Parts: sequence; structure tokens; C-alpha cells
Amino acid sequence: MNAYERVMHTLQGLPADRVPVFAVLGAYGGKLTGTHLRTLYRDAAAYVAGQEAVQEAFGFDLVLAPFDYSALAEAFGGEAAFFDDQPPNVKRPAANSAAEACALSLPDPERTGRLPFIVEATRRLAGLYTGRVPVFAAVPGPAAFPSLLMGLDAWMETLLFNEVHAQALLELTGSFFVRWSNALLAAGATGLIVTEGMAAAEVSPRGLFAERLRPHLQAMCSQLRGPWVFHHTGGRVNQVLDLLPGLPNLVGVAVSSKDDLAEARRLIGPELLLIGNLDNLSYPAATAQQIREWSRACLEVAAPAGRFVLANSGGDIPLTTPPENLRAMIEASVAYAGRNREGA
Amino acid sequence: MNISTWSNRLLDTMVKADRAGAADLVAQVLANGLPSNRVLAEVLDPALVRVGQLWEQEQASLAQTFVAAKIAEDVLLRCLPEAGEASSHPPKGRVVIGNIEDDFHSLGRRIVASFLQAAGWEVHDLGNDVVAELFVDKAIEINAAVVGASAMTHTTALNIRKLRTVIDARGLAGQIKLAVGGAVFNWRPDLVAEVGGDGTAHNAAAADALCARLQAETVRNAGSQATKEPTR
Repeated sequence: MNAYERVMHTLQGLPADRVPVFAVLGAYGGKLTGTHLRTLYRDAAAYVAGQEAVQEAFGFDLVLAPFDYSALAEAFGGEAAFFDDQPPNVKRPAANSAAEACALSLPDPERTGRLPFIVEATRRLAGLYTGRVPVFAAVPGPAAFPSLLMGLDAWMETLLFNEVHAQALLELTGSFFVRWSNALLAAGATGLIVTEGMAAAEVSPRGLFAERLRPHLQAMCSQLRGPWVFHHTGGRVNQVLDLLPGLPNLVGVAVSSKDDLAEARRLIGPELLLIGNLDNLSYPAATAQQIREWSRACLEVAAPAGRFVLANSGGDIPLTTPPENLRAMIEASVAYAGRNREGA
Repeated sequence: MNISTWSNRLLDTMVKADRAGAADLVAQVLANGLPSNRVLAEVLDPALVRVGQLWEQEQASLAQTFVAAKIAEDVLLRCLPEAGEASSHPPKGRVVIGNIEDDFHSLGRRIVASFLQAAGWEVHDLGNDVVAELFVDKAIEINAAVVGASAMTHTTALNIRKLRTVIDARGLAGQIKLAVGGAVFNWRPDLVAEVGGDGTAHNAAAADALCARLQAETVRNAGSQATKEPTR
């Protein structure tokens, strides 16, 4: 069974040889190929080479297209900052206020800034891994998207205190969210990872998500031409998980390391994929044995119900993480499957 | 209505993101004859502390804390001029804050700035992506005892080590204390020591007590230094 078959079987609730395993290793690809991240996040060939190196070194069950939201902020007129040891970040958003943000022009996925790089890298990865490994592309959630244009504080202030501008911004960015997402699906992405930061308990109260943001998420995701996974973006999301089943095209939910996997499964029901939830920050300092043990703990809680993917919880895994810690995740999944077969 | 009830009602407006309701409430309190300085100390401050406790108990979100900070700014604007006239209290002290080099996540820092100002501190906010030397230069310039460096991610948090190095290299460890904060420190408390922080606050309301403690340490250091001087 190859990775693609393993993931598809798991997605459909069918038996698989083991639980699929995934880790966010976009920048880590640059580390493996010795490519500076400034090049990795501009050059499709360099990024794809990095992901090939990741696949060769570890053999995870998903491949990730460039996970770089600074390119989106840049495409709207903002500025990105590049680093030696982490993916690019937004240095300066395009707008200082909601009024300015509402006046921004929508970028063209095929032409503006570094967006064509992301589309092209997705296309190449899809061509390379079709039928062998699923390729997923990360996109910012429609409720969080305006923060890329104006910063989170300005977006928060608009959302909370300026309903007219908030609605206008959600409509503006929502239309781009749909266009961008569908461009990545058209480039061959198997599915999307929608990182909806506004859903986290640390960011928004449940009521705000339920009453104002979920309806927008529903409206936007109904226009996607492919499946998507809801992602926690680093915060606890158990508070909203019961609100997710039934969202159009939703096939899975990734929860944070502070969310309880058993509770998460109870809240999302049996039909959706559950993904998680090893603590990103622990990877560099942990031993491989610890990662194996933490992985096993996740597997024992979440794998018996099926439709589970073992994964890190968060964005890119720190580059200082030893390779053996990444291999330990897959080793844990193989060992868990072996124990189950022996038990049966 | 007693003062704690006013404070509880103000807290309620913060939790419900009712900024207009908060303004009305403060106007009522003032109209009832409570002086501005007591509104700040006995109505606003306890409400902010309670928001901090709710955050600590994972019962408040960033949005609610943000609203609390905005309401605090509104109340300060409304009350500070009169409170300043009514009170001879100088600021508690001066604090320099900023997001460390390469970090651009400003929301938490801005909330902390509002909470500190509401608690009576003079806050000098250097913004995002601040290099270590700038923190220290500013602290020396304004005679601040505390610099607060904020970071969102593990990678940028490690840049705070440069700030620790600059403070130590200039021989200022006893005079300038390093407060660190940001989401990553709540997830990884051991990171505070790893980056050389002298302390952290797990929420914006707790930043007041942290700065007071750190400032007191510098005063003690200065005292012990002065005691030693004659023996040199």
C-alpha cells in the first residue's frame, strides 16, 4: 500500500496497513538540500527538490505545497521578511486600516508576486506524486484572511467594532480565498488545509465564531472545487469542533496539541478525518524515544476509531529537529500496526 | 451601587465586547461622584485583573482581552487628565517594550502596553522587529528598569538571547531587567530561562506585577551597590 492508497483508505474508513503520518516540513526541505529559505520560497524547482528530499529521507504520507502566507500578504501590497531558519513572515501588511484594506486590488494567482511560484510548485509536486503521495496545499481561513492585509490587531478591531468594514473585508478576501484555493486545486493539489486561526479558543470566543465566522466559512467553502481539512493554527479548537461537521467539502480536522484527541473525535463524529496532535515546540529538544512514546499515546487514543492521521500540531517543524525524531513518528505508526496485527 | 459592582459590570462589558456599554458605564460612575483616580484604581484595574485571571483559566480569548485593552484605553483617555490633577502619584516606573528582531506579531504586545498604562506605568513601545541594541539604548535613554521583549514563535523567541547578551555585555544586568512574553512562553515556560529572561507574565494583567517585581529588584541591586561603594 503506498501513501496515497493509505491516506485514501483512511479517509474512507477502510482498512489500511498502518495509520498515515504527516509532518509540516516545508522549510526542512531547504535544510536537506542546502537551499537558503529565500530561494526555497521563490523558486518552484528548489521547493520541489526540498520536498523530494523530505520524501526520500522520511517517507511521510502527505506532501505539502509551499506553506507561506507572506506571499499572499505581499501579493496584496505588503512586505515579507525572509529568515535563515524559519519560513518567511509578514513584515508589513498592505494596509494600515480597514478603509485602506477595502480599497486594495485583488491579486492574480497566475501573475502577482510570488503567487505563481506557489501554483507552479503545487503543479510540479502533483505531477511528481500523482497516485503515490497526496499533495496538500495550505490556505489561510476566510475568517482570518483579512489579517494578512492589515495585521491581526487591526482586523480584530474591525471585526469587533466596525461591522460595515468587517463585512466588506470578508467579502473582498472571501472572493480571493475561493479563487486562490481553486487555483491550487486546479494545479493538482489533492486537497486543502484551511488554517482558520479565528476559530481558536485563544483568539475568539465560541459565540463570535458560531454567529459571525462560521457562516462565512460555510459560504466560502461551498465554492471550493475539492476537499479541505480544517486546521487549528496553533490554538485550542475543541470549543468549536461540534460546529464543523456538515461544512461543505470538509473531510478532516487537525487539532492542536492542547486539544484532547478523544474529545475531538467525540465532537466531530465518526465520519471526518482526525489529524494530530504532537507538540511542535517539543521536537528539537525531545529524544526520538520520547517522540515514539508521544506518538504511541496519540495512536492508542485516536487510531481505534479509524480515520486518524498522526501529525505534528502547528506550522513548520523547527529546523533544529534531529532527523531521527521525524523518523520516530513513522516508526511508532509501524509498531502500532504490528502490535495490532499480532493482537488480532 | 458599590464600587465592586461597578467593576463587575465593567468586566461584563469587556467579556461581551460592549465598548459603548463600557463608556456609558464609566460615565455613570463619574456622574455618581466617584473621582477619576478611584475609577481607574477601583473599577478599571480589578476588571482588568479579572480578565487576566479568565485568560489564565482558559476562559477568555484574545478577542476579549483585546476588547478589555481597548476599553482600558477609552477609560484612561476619559479619566487620566482628571486623575492626574487629583493625584500626585508619579508613574510606577518606565518600561520599554517591543517585539524582538524578526517578530512581527504585535497584537499581544499592544494589549500588554494598554494594560500597563492602565496600571500606571509609562510605556515606551518600540514596535515590531526591534534589535537588541535598540531596547537597551532606549532603556538607558529614559532610565527604564524593565525592558519587555515579545515573541510569537519559538524561532523568534530565541532572538531574545541577543538582548540578554547585550544587557550583560554592557554590565547592566542589575539595572535593567528583562521581561519576556508572547504565546510561545505560555506553551513552553522553560523557554523563559533558555532565552535569559528575568521573568514572564502569563497574561496582560499580570504584566503589572511582573514589572513591579523586576523594578524592585533593580532598586535592591542599586541599594546593595551603594552600600558596597564606601568599602571600595
